[in-house]
Amino acid sequence: MKILIIEDELGLQRSISQYLTCEGNLCTMASNYAEALDRLNSYDYDCILLDLTLPDGEGLQILNYLKRMNRPEGVIIISARNALDQKIEGLSLGADDYLIKPFHLSELNARILAVVRRKSANGDRHIEFNEIRIDLDAKEVLVSAKPVYMTKKESDLLLYFVANKGKVISKSAAVEHIWGDDADMADSFDFIYTHIKNIRKKLTDAGSSDYFQSVYGVGYKFTEV
Amino acid sequence: MKLFTRYNRILIIISLFGLLLIGFLFYKMLVYYLDQQIDHDLVEEVMEVKEYSAKGNFYKSHEFEDLVVQYKKIEKANPSSSYGDTLFYNPLKHRKETARYLRTELELVGKPYRVLVIASKFERQEQIRNICLIILIPVMLLFALVLLVNRILLKKIWTPFEQLLKNITAFNINHERPYEPVEMPVAEFRQLNKVLVELSGKVKSDYNEIKLFTENASHEMMTPLAVINSKLDNMLQSNVLAKEDGEILVELYKATSRLTKLNQSLLLLVKIDNNLLQDEEKINLKSLIEEKQVYFQELISERNITVESTLADVSISASRSLLEILINNLFSNVIRHNYDGGKIEINLETDKIVFANTGHNKALDPEKIFDRFYKDNASEGTGLGLAILKQICNRQRYQLDYSYYQDLHTFTIKFNHQ
Repeated sequence: MKILIIEDELGLQRSISQYLTCEGNLCTMASNYAEALDRLNSYDYDCILLDLTLPDGEGLQILNYLKRMNRPEGVIIISARNALDQKIEGLSLGADDYLIKPFHLSELNARILAVVRRKSANGDRHIEFNEIRIDLDAKEVLVSAKPVYMTKKESDLLLYFVANKGKVISKSAAVEHIWGDDADMADSFDFIYTHIKNIRKKLTDAGSSDYFQSVYGVGYKFTEV
Repeated sequence: MKLFTRYNRILIIISLFGLLLIGFLFYKMLVYYLDQQIDHDLVEEVMEVKEYSAKGNFYKSHEFEDLVVQYKKIEKANPSSSYGDTLFYNPLKHRKETARYLRTELELVGKPYRVLVIASKFERQEQIRNICLIILIPVMLLFALVLLVNRILLKKIWTPFEQLLKNITAFNINHERPYEPVEMPVAEFRQLNKVLVELSGKVKSDYNEIKLFTENASHEMMTPLAVINSKLDNMLQSNVLAKEDGEILVELYKATSRLTKLNQSLLLLVKIDNNLLQDEEKINLKSLIEEKQVYFQELISERNITVESTLADVSISASRSLLEILINNLFSNVIRHNYDGGKIEINLETDKIVFANTGHNKALDPEKIFDRFYKDNASEGTGLGLAILKQICNRQRYQLDYSYYQDLHTFTIKFNHQ
């Protein structure tokens, strides 16, 4: 998967690229409008991460350009601005998603995966990991083709871990993924443990292997045994 | 006390005292003057007695004169005389009257006599009373007139001032409408008005600047926070972390998360202030609360908190985002400040919503709990949750109250159905 990161904050740029570069992902970086146009003129991408506040031009202009050129890339806006109108404008100009800074890289990764899946021509609305198969629309979980009943939060969480397979996801990121950021309880992460325990039990009961690993008490990793 | 009342009260008290004092002095002066006159007459009577005695007669008073002359034989006449007040029986009118007397001892027709001349004061007193009335009645009338004019005049003069007060009260720093100046005939009021117009303008612009500053500062902090967060996420992927590193990471995540939350809350406050959330629609509160209860279920069950809810089927028209934040904040508040195994009571009625929770503390200070950054030391929240609640209620014109009753911290929001 080829990803273009248009972001003027170099620290963030590097972090995103470091996190995303693996398993055949290729990240290209652009720090300003001109650079971004240059890259877009030369190559095609699967997904573009776009910071709206660039030093030499508004990020929205890049959106306009992409729309004009009928580019097929999925676009995720990453912005510190939480303004509703900007979000609406961005989405109406063809952005596929809108992520507000600060965000967890695992969240970004999951969003990229969702956007790319949605855009992909073959319309594969499933994500698979060995014997586990998740239907992205119905949020249905199948283990060896047998449905496993999960609550909405549980299937969301499982999907999040599968999308970030091989990565450690902090409890903080998992809580924010499920409860969003309006919930004023950033200090209580521990109940995520209960959810993971339930998911693990449901999966292993259905005959799946246990792919969850607890890491340093900070978070969990969903990975090949 | 109203200025008008106060002014009138002082005026009446001083005038009454003044009037009494002047009246009293005036009366005393008149009485003194009258006594002098009567005494003078008495001396003349005694002269007449002497003249009569020179002719060998005893003087008798005329019948019409309210005057009595008495003679009494004595051993020896001392040439002295004394005046005084007395009562005497007026034989003419057959009644007792107040009077002046002059007692003197004289040689009359060769023999010593004590002569007592008594003159009635009745007529003169009548005169004094009339004089007093003639002066007092117009003064009282004048006094009443002054009070009346005062009342009318003051009311008229203060009318624009009252309008001014009304306008100041109506002035709201959050509203677009500027302070409305009032037409003032009085120079001082005009000046006050001018100062108020300037002041309100200054307050507004300062306030907007502060809001803008808060907004910009919070936004500017989001990017560095994003860098920290992303670096932490990457650090977590490292295979060489020790157990202690994990603990440090947990703390760093928590701190970053809190800082982010704080920033988001500040931005939210500015957003509510600027009235940017206007997605007004009909909202079913019952289903919203039920939805949020599911959303918070893990937190509630983790701490073994029981929820007792009585929800009527109530729909109101309001901004959806604001109401969601409102219910979210109510829930996080009753959960956060509860103890393990505590209780939450939720009541939804047509005109109000009540969230009550058991908690560690005694009653909180209802004046302060809705202030920004007011929180007890044990709380790990941002200290902005209740301030946001208050702000939303202000914006939606709901009435928000806190009370502490039977060990329950109770938050009541009264809707304002138009």
